[in-house]
Amino acid sequence: MAIEYKKSVATFSEFISVEEAEALLEWLLKNPKGKVNFAECTHIHASSLQVLMALKPTIVAEPKDADLAVWLKVALAD
Amino acid sequence: MNNLLEQFLSEGRDFLQGIGEKLMQLEDEPNSTPLMTELFRFVHTLKGNSGLFEFPEMTRVLHASEDLMDAVRNGRVGYSQDLADQLLDAMDFVGMLMDEIEATGEISKNHAVPAAEHAQVLRSLLVVSESNADSNSDLHTSSEIKSEVNSLLAELPIFELEESVAEELYLHALEGETAFWVEYKPESDCFFKGEDPLFLMRQVPDTLWRHIILNNTAPILAEMDVYSNQLVFQLLTTAPSEELDDLFRYVPDEIKRIEIPALAFVRPTGNQDDHAIDIDFIDNALALLNKNNISVLTQIINTMLELSAPELWSSSVLRWVLRLLEHEPDNKTAQHALLKSLQTLTAPDWSAPAEHVERSDSKEVEHATTSVNVRKTEEDDELLQNFYVVVNAQREILSLSHKSGFSWTAGRLKSIASTLMGCYRAVNRECNIDNVLERALAENSPTPLLTWLEESLANNEQDVEIEVETDFSEISTSSESTPNALISDHKDAHENVVHNEAKTARRVDEVSTVVPKTLKVDQDKIDRLMNLIGEMVVAKNALPYLANRAETVFGVRDLSREIKAQYAVINRVAEEMQDTIMQVRMMPVSFIFQRFPRMVRDISRKLGKEVELVLEGESTEADKNIVEALSDPLIHIVRNSLDHGLEQPDVRLAAGKNATGKLTIRATQESDRVLIEIMDDGKGIDPKIIKHKAYEKGLIDETTLERISDQDAINLIFAAGFSTVEVISDLSGRGVGMDVVRSAVEKVNGTVGIESQVGKGTRIHLSLPLSMAVTNVIIIESNKQIFGVPMDMVVETVRVPRSQIRTIKHKQTTVLRGRVVPLLSLNQLLARGVEQLPNEDDEFATLIVRVHGEHIGILVDEFRETVDIILKPMAGILGGLSSYSGAALLGDGSVLMVLNPRELI
Repeated sequence: MAIEYKKSVATFSEFISVEEAEALLEWLLKNPKGKVNFAECTHIHASSLQVLMALKPTIVAEPKDADLAVWLKVALAD
Repeated sequence: MNNLLEQFLSEGRDFLQGIGEKLMQLEDEPNSTPLMTELFRFVHTLKGNSGLFEFPEMTRVLHASEDLMDAVRNGRVGYSQDLADQLLDAMDFVGMLMDEIEATGEISKNHAVPAAEHAQVLRSLLVVSESNADSNSDLHTSSEIKSEVNSLLAELPIFELEESVAEELYLHALEGETAFWVEYKPESDCFFKGEDPLFLMRQVPDTLWRHIILNNTAPILAEMDVYSNQLVFQLLTTAPSEELDDLFRYVPDEIKRIEIPALAFVRPTGNQDDHAIDIDFIDNALALLNKNNISVLTQIINTMLELSAPELWSSSVLRWVLRLLEHEPDNKTAQHALLKSLQTLTAPDWSAPAEHVERSDSKEVEHATTSVNVRKTEEDDELLQNFYVVVNAQREILSLSHKSGFSWTAGRLKSIASTLMGCYRAVNRECNIDNVLERALAENSPTPLLTWLEESLANNEQDVEIEVETDFSEISTSSESTPNALISDHKDAHENVVHNEAKTARRVDEVSTVVPKTLKVDQDKIDRLMNLIGEMVVAKNALPYLANRAETVFGVRDLSREIKAQYAVINRVAEEMQDTIMQVRMMPVSFIFQRFPRMVRDISRKLGKEVELVLEGESTEADKNIVEALSDPLIHIVRNSLDHGLEQPDVRLAAGKNATGKLTIRATQESDRVLIEIMDDGKGIDPKIIKHKAYEKGLIDETTLERISDQDAINLIFAAGFSTVEVISDLSGRGVGMDVVRSAVEKVNGTVGIESQVGKGTRIHLSLPLSMAVTNVIIIESNKQIFGVPMDMVVETVRVPRSQIRTIKHKQTTVLRGRVVPLLSLNQLLARGVEQLPNEDDEFATLIVRVHGEHIGILVDEFRETVDIILKPMAGILGGLSSYSGAALLGDGSVLMVLNPRELI
C-alpha cells in the first residue's frame, strides 16, 4: 500500500499511483479530521491530488522532495 | 522492430488502403450508411492500434479523423468533397509516417507541426459543421476558441513572483529571453489514458511559479469522481520553447502557452493597506516625468524609498519605476501608468489596450474613494430594483389569471402572496397582505390581491415607477424567451443522450468485429515453404532413378517395383502440396487495381478531365510476384491514358463524345495466363506522328519510315527512349516510356501489345503467366549438353531437312508452311563453333520460338522430354548472364541451365 491509513493519519510513501485516489477520498470522508503525512512521498498522482485539494486535510509533514513540496504547497494553500 | 509494430504497419497499410477506397465509394453514394460505418471503423481501429505505440503525431491525426468520421456517420457533419480531400490528405500523411516508421523505427519530431495542422484542419471541418448544426455546447466553435485566447491575452495570467525574481525575468525578457506562462487543462478522462498531469507538469524545467485550480463539479464531496480530472495546472517557466513543445507533444490541444512580455513582470508586490504616498508626491513625480526631468525624478523617488518601509506596496511600485527609468527610459506610458497606480492602488494592466486601462482606473478610483455610506445606498438601490422586478412579475401573473376562475387559482394566489410577503420583508416595508389573501381566496379571484398591489405600488415614488416599467418590459421579453431556452436545454439533453448512444454504438462496433478467418503470414515464410516443396519435388524425382538402379545395377526387381509404387504416392502428395502453395501465393489483381480509383481521381482532377474508371475482373488471381510486377507497368499505362489518351471535356464534346472519358481496366484469366486490358476512349495514337517522332529520334531510318505499317508504327512506342509529348509533365513523358513497361512485363515472362484507332481510343493488353513458380521447359541437347527452353516461348518443334535450308544474305532460312523462318544454330549462339548434328535422315531438330511476335528457328542436336521445373534465377556472377533465365535441379541431381531465347537472339 502506498498510503498507510492509521487512526487519524494517512501516511503517503514514495509513489502514489492513480489507484489510491478512491480509497483516499473514502478515508478522508470517513475521517474528516484525518491528517496527512507526506514526508516520504515523492510523487502523488493527479487523481489523488485533486482529492486532497477538494478536502484539504491538515498536513502533518511536508514531503522531503522539494519539488513536490512546492507543488503541494501551491495546491493545498487556501 | 518488434513483431507488434510490424503487424501494425502491415495492417495499417491495409486500413489506409481501405479508407481510401471507402472514401472513393462514398463519393458516388454519399449517403450510404454502411460505407460510412465501415469507414469509421477503419479509422477507429487504426487510431486505436496506433495508440499502442509512441506515435503521438499519427494518433493525433487519426483521432481527429475519427472524430470527424464519427460526426459524419451520425449525420452531424455532411459528407463533402472537401472533407474527402482533407481526409485523404491526412491518410497520405499517416502513410508517410508509416513509411518513416518502417525505415527508421520512429517518427521525427519535425512532423509534429504538420500533424497538428492536419488535425486542426480536420477539426475545423468538424467545428464549422457543428456550429451550423447548433448542437453540443461543450464543443468549442472556432470563434469561441479565439475569444478564449483573446481573453487570456487580455487579462494576463495571474502569477505571483518575488520582486527579485520578477526583476530578473523582466531583465531577461528585455533581452529577448522570454518566459512562458503555460496552462494545462487535461481532458477529464485523461487518467484512463494513463496520463498523470501532475507528473507531466513536474517535468517542466525552470518553473518559477505554479498554480493548480480544482474545478470540482460534484456538489457533494462524496460524489466527487476522482477518476475524472478536474484540475487545471498553470505555471511560469523559462524553459525554451522547443523543450516545452517536446514535453507536451502528446497533449498539444490541452495546452495554452503564452509568451510573457517584459512589462508583465512589472508587478508591484507588498503590503497595500498602508497608503504611505501622498498625492502631492505623485503629482510632483508625474509632472517631472512629463517634463522628462529624469534625474530629479530619480532623486525624489530614491528619497521617498528611503523614507518608506521597503515591504510596502508603494515602495515596490517606486522601485519598479526606477527600473523602468533605467532599462526602458523611452517607455513613458509604462512609467506614467506605474506612477498613476500609486493613486489607484492597483497594478497597471499592461496587456489591455490603453483605453481599457483608463476605464478600469477610473472605476477603481471610484471604488477607492466612495464612502461606505454611498456603497450602502447603492446596494439598497439594487435591492429595490430587484424588489420591483419581482413584485411587478407577480402583478403580471395576477392580471393574467384575472378573468379565469380555475381550480388552481387558489394555489397560485397563495404562492403570489407569500412571494410578495418575502419581497416586502426584504425591503423592510409593511405588508399586511393576509386579510387580502383571505378575501381573494374566498372569492377565488385575484382581483383583491391585484387592487392591493396596485394601491401599494401607487403609494411609492413615481420616479421609481418609471424605472421599474422599463425593467419590467425587459423581464417580460426575457420570460418570453424562457420557453425557447427550455427547449434548447432539452435539446441539449437530447443531444447528450444521442451522444451517449453513439458512444455505446462505438463499443458495440468494437465487440462485433468478427475474428478474421484469414491468417497473415510473412511472405518470406511462404517463399521458404515453396522452396522446400520445390526441393522435395526434385528429391522425389530421384526415386525413379533409384528404382532403375535397383533393377539394373542390383538386380532386385521387386524392390524396384515397390520403390515405384511408393514414388507414385509421394508424387501425388508433392503435386498437391505444390498446387496448394501456389494457391497460397495467388492473390487477386484487385491488390493493384484498388489504388487506381484514387489515382485516377487525383490525376483527372489535376488535369481538369472527367474520367469514369471501370474496373473489371478484380477477383482474377495470379501469383503474388506477378501481381506485384504488374503494378508499376499498369500505373504507367493508366497515367499515359489519362495524360495523353483522354481529352479535355470540351475537346471531347466537340468530337461528339461524352464529356466524361471512360477508362476500363479489365483482368481475365485465359488458361494459364492472366490477361489485363487497359482501354480508353480517348483520341488514340496517330501512327503518322509516331513515325515522324521515331524518325526524328533516329529510331527508324528513312526506308522504314516509308514502309512501316500503321500497327508497327504504333508498336514503336515500346521502343526505348520514345516519348511523344514535348512538354514533360509530372505525370508522364519523363523519358521512361513504354519500353520500361515492356521490359517489366517481359521480366515475368509476359507480353504486351497495343491497338489504337485515331479518335476512338487505345487498348493495351498485357498477358502474364499465372504463376512463375513452376516453369514448363523442354529439354534439348546441343553439343552433348542439355539445356532447357521455356515452353511458353516454343511454338513448335520440327525437323528441317538440310535440303530445305537456304542461305539468304549469309543467313540460314527455311520456308515453313509458306512462311520464311530464319534459322539460328544454338552452338553458334553459344559460341561453341561446332556444327549441329543432324539425325540419320539428315534432318535438323529445330525449335521454333516466338520472340517479339516473330518466329525464329533454333537448330539443336536433339529434343528430349519436357519437365516442370522450379526455375531459380542465377545469383552472383552468373546472374549477369542474361542469355540464361535461370537454372533448375533435375531429378537425377544434375543442373539444367534454362535458356532465355529473347536475350540469346
